[in-house]
Amino acid sequence: MVKTEKAIERVEPTPALAWLVGLAAWFIPGAGHLMTKHWVRALLMGGSVWLCFFLGLWMGGHMFSLSTGQGSSQLLQVPPMIANLGSGALYIVCYMLDIGFADDLVQAARATYEYGNTFLLIAGLLNYLNMLDAFDIAAGRKP
Amino acid sequence: MRHFLVMTVFAGLVSIVFGAVAKDTPRDRCIYGLKVFAEFMLIGLVLGWILYFIP
Repeated sequence: MVKTEKAIERVEPTPALAWLVGLAAWFIPGAGHLMTKHWVRALLMGGSVWLCFFLGLWMGGHMFSLSTGQGSSQLLQVPPMIANLGSGALYIVCYMLDIGFADDLVQAARATYEYGNTFLLIAGLLNYLNMLDAFDIAAGRKP
Repeated sequence: MRHFLVMTVFAGLVSIVFGAVAKDTPRDRCIYGLKVFAEFMLIGLVLGWILYFIP
């Protein structure tokens, strides 16, 4: 008689704190790692996002929202808007103060306009990575 | 701001985050971050020269 053994997978539930850390990491870049007491990571990773974001604004970059564009072109705003949204509170505050959302030709004519756009997009995308990293640390899946 | 400086800053910031997220030990992270930085710079320069010859 051959015995077959079934491997029992134990799925440990994700602690609620991990979700909170993930949310904080998204909302304020670096906050997630600060909550898990990873100071160097918070400084390096959070600092990179903050610097990337403000350099983007300084270079005259433009952020995306659904309010720009009409008809089908409004849909084209969604992917870059998702990238910009990764910056969390930085994006929300800028949206409320109407900083970096204006569509004016003088700003678009600047030599660093496209660089600024890229920096702003990358700041958001890097913060998504930060958020996932902080979440994994808080969930105990990463040292 | 000069274009090369912008590219260097961009590569630096991205490689810091990539290096910190990947790998397990601080030494491996440093090496990986430097590797990513070097790749960004090299590919950026190569693409720059290729595009220079394309009108």
